[in-house]
Amino acid sequence: VPDDLLLGLKFIFGPSAVPALDLVDQRSVTRIVSPSGRTAYQVVGSSGKLYTCYSSCHFCTCPAYGFSVLQRSESLLCKHILAVYLSQAVGACQELTVSEEQLTNILLAEDEEEG
Amino acid sequence: LHRGGLAERLCQLQNRERSAVSFWRHQCTSDVKIPSEKSGVLTVKILEMFEECTIQVAICQQLGQSPATLLSEDAVTSVEEPILKVLFARETAAHLKCRPHDVIHIYPPWQKLLLRNAGGPVIMNTYFSQKVLLSEHSQTREKPYGLIRKNIISLAQTFRLDDTDDGMCQESSGDQVGRDPQIHGKQDSKQHPLAQSAVNDSLLEMVESQGAVGWRETQVRVVIQRVYCLPMREGYRSHVQGTKPLCATPVTDSDPPNVRLCLLVQDAYGMFSEVQLKPLSSAEDAEQYCSRWEGKFCCLAGMKVLQRTTRGRALGLFSLIDSLWPPAVPVKFPGQSQDSATMTTDLSAPSFCYVLAADSAETQVEVDEEQQVSTLYQPPAVSSLKEILQINGCNERCSFWARVLYLRLQTKHSVPINQRETWLFVTDSTLQHEAHRTPKVLAVAVAASCVLSPEITGALGVASRFVFFKDALWGNGRIICVERTVLLLQKPLLCSAAGADLSELTGPVGLDELDSTTQTNSICAVRGTVVGVNESTAFSWPACDRCGNGKLELCPQDRGVLYCSQCSGVVSSPLLKMQLEVFLSCPSRSQSTVKVKCPGLFVLINLLLSLQSYEVQSVLGKEVGLLSCFVHAVSSHPDCVALEEIVLL
Repeated sequence: VPDDLLLGLKFIFGPSAVPALDLVDQRSVTRIVSPSGRTAYQVVGSSGKLYTCYSSCHFCTCPAYGFSVLQRSESLLCKHILAVYLSQAVGACQELTVSEEQLTNILLAEDEEEG
Repeated sequence: LHRGGLAERLCQLQNRERSAVSFWRHQCTSDVKIPSEKSGVLTVKILEMFEECTIQVAICQQLGQSPATLLSEDAVTSVEEPILKVLFARETAAHLKCRPHDVIHIYPPWQKLLLRNAGGPVIMNTYFSQKVLLSEHSQTREKPYGLIRKNIISLAQTFRLDDTDDGMCQESSGDQVGRDPQIHGKQDSKQHPLAQSAVNDSLLEMVESQGAVGWRETQVRVVIQRVYCLPMREGYRSHVQGTKPLCATPVTDSDPPNVRLCLLVQDAYGMFSEVQLKPLSSAEDAEQYCSRWEGKFCCLAGMKVLQRTTRGRALGLFSLIDSLWPPAVPVKFPGQSQDSATMTTDLSAPSFCYVLAADSAETQVEVDEEQQVSTLYQPPAVSSLKEILQINGCNERCSFWARVLYLRLQTKHSVPINQRETWLFVTDSTLQHEAHRTPKVLAVAVAASCVLSPEITGALGVASRFVFFKDALWGNGRIICVERTVLLLQKPLLCSAAGADLSELTGPVGLDELDSTTQTNSICAVRGTVVGVNESTAFSWPACDRCGNGKLELCPQDRGVLYCSQCSGVVSSPLLKMQLEVFLSCPSRSQSTVKVKCPGLFVLINLLLSLQSYEVQSVLGKEVGLLSCFVHAVSSHPDCVALEEIVLL
């Protein structure tokens, strides 16, 4: 990865860049697939907590996303979403296949937690 | 941080960059001249700026290196130079204090990003930028640093609710950056041609979001259900005659525009709207618009809302809307997804309707004439006259095809001539061949508000014609033609015949015979015996055989010869015109005194003349066959009927 790209990342994504790269370095991103082809991402946060990111749009269950992206429109994404993109790009994504039911639980479990 | 990883590397790079930037800034503030002709320097002129997610986005035009371009402040932005998007970090922007029309030098290292789907290239890492000061004076008259518009990315965009772009798992991870802002400021909308603006399919949404005036940027797609002309009320020349004001210029005048072309449109949600378009000088072209436009899709833009009218205030309009309810196909329901549609049987008829008007130059009405007729279109349901007589309701719109037998203009002198009704007496095969007690002929009153094309009025007065009455009103046992009723000489191509017998009525038609049920302002057939002649009103006079002028004069030269001033010639063989009132005894109405006014040499007078005697005695007792008469008055006390002999068309 050339230096220019890294600096470019820093320019665009600001403070999210370094933490996201760290997550990539630590291979924290897992791509979860179900037999029907549905996907989701799970990222192990810095505190060890697991966050879910959607593949169809920008969404992450971390509080920073809700605050900076949705509420304040200060950032385009949070470090977890950026980590997902970067992991895909450098091929550092872990893959995991689960059943339909398990994927559904992953996607729904987040709602229940917040609800 | 993970040792040896990307994050660690970035940290180191970032630190190095930070010191380089601060060194640069230091250089900028002290008046060290930095050569601008070095290779790799990008020179841009800012056109527009806004902020998005803490980054300042500047839409710029790249300039050539010539000092002339740089120095001329008022230079028109040439079209050939490429447009770039330059991104500035917040601190850089604060340092530069740039605003539109500023020229900026961007020194390396900067980066260029080419996006897959968006417009031009994006320039980033622009820490080393310097504003070019055009002259010494510009510093003193610097405009105050204004606020920059902040572009908020909508949630719909974040969650990709509208766009159909590829998902997150794409190679170019930079495709969120630098996307064109979806929210356009007022100045942008003028540059966007109407063809690119979004097409809405809800009238209600258009009115509620766009407001009463000027629907810019969006258009709404509707189906044209009906096309008709309305008399124009504005610009009427009103003057008072006694205590009665005269209003509305006559609708059959040819020169000044006094009718307005109107459409009744319906959107995909079933909502109606009346759209008032351009004024026409006569209703002649309206028939053409009718056949070309009815049933087709149409895009409306730039309309203004004249009023929101309700059922109670616009009975005529809503009677027409009711005739088109329920819709022919299921309509959409607001809030539902695009594909599903509600069954319409449960929906209640609309209670309000917006009246839209053209808003000067901004208005665009584009009718898609090439496309097929919409499934939502409901052509007029043609009924037979017999079926119409059986309609129970009041104020029901009905359409029928009938033969006009006789035309009569209202002669009440208290009503101004341009507001007078015209009566058409019509029949069709269902009335003629009906054995039961239904009238053979119906009277249709044509109000002054019903706009007739010159073609119709010309045709009606000449011969018996079949006329298509579209959306006439039935109520209180009468058919009337009012506003939004259209009379056509030809059956429209699309009309649903609801069991109507549309066979042409050939051969002689029969009128109802005079009897106890005969009403005023109808026509009937009379037979009876002559019982008297009103000698005091009997009158005969000569008329010119060329032009029919009844006011002939005696020739000044030769007092025995008649002269017609209208065609300026001697009348050698004048026509004899007669006026006579005859009393008949009719077996069908034996108790009444039947008085028949014969205004001309029609059947009755000719019959009497054929007796070759002018003696009243010889006329009495003569049998009179079926005469066609117009009923002027019927009264019970005394029991008499005043008729006028007529000639059917």
